[in-house]
Amino acid sequence: MEIAVVGTGEFILGFRLAGVRKTYAAETDERLVEHINQVLDDKDVGILVLKGSDMERIPLRLRTSLENSVKPTVIAIGGDEGGLSMRERIKRSVGVDLWK
Amino acid sequence: MALRDIKPTRSELINIKRRIKLSERGYNILKMKRDGLILEFFKVLQQAKDSRGALLERYERAMEMIALAETVEGAIGVKAAAFSTADAPAISLKSKNIMGVVVPEIDASSVRKGVLDRGYGMLGTSAVIDETAEAFEDLLEAIIEAAEIETTMKRLLDEIESTKRRVNALEFKVIPELSEARDFIKMRLDEMEREELFRLKKIKARST
Repeated sequence: MEIAVVGTGEFILGFRLAGVRKTYAAETDERLVEHINQVLDDKDVGILVLKGSDMERIPLRLRTSLENSVKPTVIAIGGDEGGLSMRERIKRSVGVDLWK
Repeated sequence: MALRDIKPTRSELINIKRRIKLSERGYNILKMKRDGLILEFFKVLQQAKDSRGALLERYERAMEMIALAETVEGAIGVKAAAFSTADAPAISLKSKNIMGVVVPEIDASSVRKGVLDRGYGMLGTSAVIDETAEAFEDLLEAIIEAAEIETTMKRLLDEIESTKRRVNALEFKVIPELSEARDFIKMRLDEMEREELFRLKKIKARST
């Protein structure tokens, strides 16, 4: 299985340098959603890497399905994760702020 | 369930008693599941904190390196090197089950490559490109590790929350309501029995 990266041109460039082949440049919101859906349908993708700020740009419904997806596993890096942060999740579920 | 909707009959009483037993058993099992999930969560918590920290650190370094590479080599130079890389890092994704929660298990191979295996020419590029590629390979490694741990954590947290809701609903809503209904039927049945006894005594007193 492979890793896929969706994001702006400069975000994906470095990943190409590390050998990731499935990189998709998306400058507009529509292209971003389109590429994410394309990656979700791709059976050969194991991990989908997104930029944290892009995660906030995608519709809530898609974001929720990304957060719950196991195949592919989705990870947002850099800045905020988008949606509920890990700290808030822990606070809500366990009742104590353990993310310190 | 409102009390006025309950039929005060013996069969209803048996039904309600059966439901209370079932709810209590479910409540105990769910409580154990919640505690087990929290234990699993604590096992992952420290790993998740460490991996998030490493990921951020490596991301910042990678971004710095690519900016530097673009300054030294120019955007076209970096792009040319990027598009000529050969091997894609391969990962294997399996799923495992922690108390009914499906979480990913990721194994990675060949993320790190030697200078000669990267695909772009050695002579046409400078050392900055190599360092940038290395920084991104480091980042990929961190991503692969964090992806597994963070997804596990998110799914565990969601499951803990829904189990907690179920436990609370059973403890504070379902079981008390059923117990109330049971007490009501018992009270009504006793009352009816007393009425019957009183009636019989009255009839007996009249007949003698």
